[in-house]
Amino acid sequence: MTAQAGGLPAPSTPGGTEPVARPGRELRPERGLRTWLRRKLPLVAFTLPAWVLVVLVLAIPIVTAVSLSLKNETLDLFGSPRYIGFQNYRTDVFTSTFLHSLVVTVIIIVIGLAIQLPLGLWLAGLLHRELRGTRLFRSVLLMPMLLTPVAVGLMWRFMFNSDLGIIDWFIRTVGLTQVNWLGSVYGGFASVLIVNSWQNVPFVMLFMLAGLQALPKEPFEAAEVDGAGVWQSFRYITLPLLRSVLLIVTMILIVEGFKLFDIVYVITAGGPGTATQNVSLLDYRVGFTDLDTSQGAAIGVVMALMLTPVYVLWARATAE
Amino acid sequence: MSPRAVIRLRHAGSYLVLTVAAIIALFPILWTLSTSLKQIVDALSIPPKFVWFHYTLHNYSKLFHTPGFGPAYVTTLEVTFGSALVTVVVGSLAAYPIARRWRFLGRRPLEASLVIIRAIPPIVLLVPLFSLVINHGLYDRPLTLVVVYAAFNLPFAVWMMVSFIQQIPYELEESGEVDGANRLRILGHLVLPLAAPGLAATTILVSLIAWNEFLIPLVLAGNNTRTLPLLISTFVQTRTVDWGVMAAGATVAILPIAILTVLAQRSLVSGLGIGGVKQ
Repeated sequence: MTAQAGGLPAPSTPGGTEPVARPGRELRPERGLRTWLRRKLPLVAFTLPAWVLVVLVLAIPIVTAVSLSLKNETLDLFGSPRYIGFQNYRTDVFTSTFLHSLVVTVIIIVIGLAIQLPLGLWLAGLLHRELRGTRLFRSVLLMPMLLTPVAVGLMWRFMFNSDLGIIDWFIRTVGLTQVNWLGSVYGGFASVLIVNSWQNVPFVMLFMLAGLQALPKEPFEAAEVDGAGVWQSFRYITLPLLRSVLLIVTMILIVEGFKLFDIVYVITAGGPGTATQNVSLLDYRVGFTDLDTSQGAAIGVVMALMLTPVYVLWARATAE
Repeated sequence: MSPRAVIRLRHAGSYLVLTVAAIIALFPILWTLSTSLKQIVDALSIPPKFVWFHYTLHNYSKLFHTPGFGPAYVTTLEVTFGSALVTVVVGSLAAYPIARRWRFLGRRPLEASLVIIRAIPPIVLLVPLFSLVINHGLYDRPLTLVVVYAAFNLPFAVWMMVSFIQQIPYELEESGEVDGANRLRILGHLVLPLAAPGLAATTILVSLIAWNEFLIPLVLAGNNTRTLPLLISTFVQTRTVDWGVMAAGATVAILPIAILTVLAQRSLVSGLGIGGVKQ
């Protein structure tokens, strides 16, 4: 199993995880309880602390979420909540608000992918040429992805400010039409997407760079001999070879799109109105602003279920 | 054009694009830093003042005197390093048998659970966690944050350590087995020392994610365990936004990371490539 890409088999890392000898065979399949206790129990013991965390923060909360979603529990409700069956799902999940937030999430993911994948790949390609100063460029370019999203989000909000912000000043100076960044629907989406891309492009770049560095050299040399241009060798050699890396990055970006919270929370707060309120933000609001725990749990359960294909794909990939 | 000129031109083009990208990457960071050193008149002046303005540390002294800043800073450090320690220890232990491809009870379910933790939106788990934490009197406690942070970061730590451990040849362990050392000793005295650079990379990365964490403390932290990102986010909610103080707060949060990125670039890059990490 290669652990790269969060457990997905990808072209091996630069530096290469050579396939290790399969040590599993060293432990001969001996039968009997005593052998099991001696051989296998220690292995299980290594994973026990991890299991404690998994049970506390994944298993118990999921069971609780399902149970909460079938009740009418709110944070300000006095008296004991009771089970009301699937009413939360019928009346509160599949509302226009929820569907709207779903559309917002999908829009941010799709446009985000369209911006971030090409830009990240382009920059990775430039870094891959290994010109002088590449290392400096790489460390500068990857910086945005590591910075505290809340902190940079607030600074971007300052820069997006319509009268005092530097972005508007720049636009006016260059002579373009002004954008009402935080006060209009398009502006709101644009500002979220800009900041999101500012943080995600470095991630895509780094990932693609690792992918490029793992590619074999021969096809490119052969293409050059045959007189292929830069674009042709990119289109017919690089892209097909990078397919698996591209798929992984896409999947991670989709997952991150569903998780996206911090940036939206500080930049637009879902506004104007609820124009940019995505599912994570909606769920937070229902659970903690409206204090409706059960509805929040129901929305969460639906969100978690919607990502099932991702878990399956991802887990299947780790199994290989 | 001679082929040489073409190559030169192409290099120049590459540098141009990289430079523009670097400016876009750095500008918001530098702008934050410069805003934090300005008086309010300069911070809001149009046209903007980039370098030539009256420098002041006033915003920082205001930030440090903000009620709750000191405790928030201490809490953030505690929770960051506490959770990083837990994540790395627990993650390395679990990574060892997974990396060696041994078959054992619960291996597949554990791997699947890690995938789900990595992919599930945190808010889904935080709604029930809040309810649980309140009911068990665990709200607003640093330890609660440490455990929850550690669990959310566990997949990164396990996957990174798996790949680092796999780079250590198994033959080295066999010599330890012959000497009769048990597995825990082999891990502690043989494998982990050899994987030290990987251990360092994992620790750095996990600390970074913990330092940046926002949604978990937003839900689970009360007045006593407020973290730095939470405190900074409250600066805009007050009616009059003091951009200078906010910039100072943002600088305090991001400057350590920016410096770390340059200093520990190598180990960060190796870790990021493996962990497939995003905050």
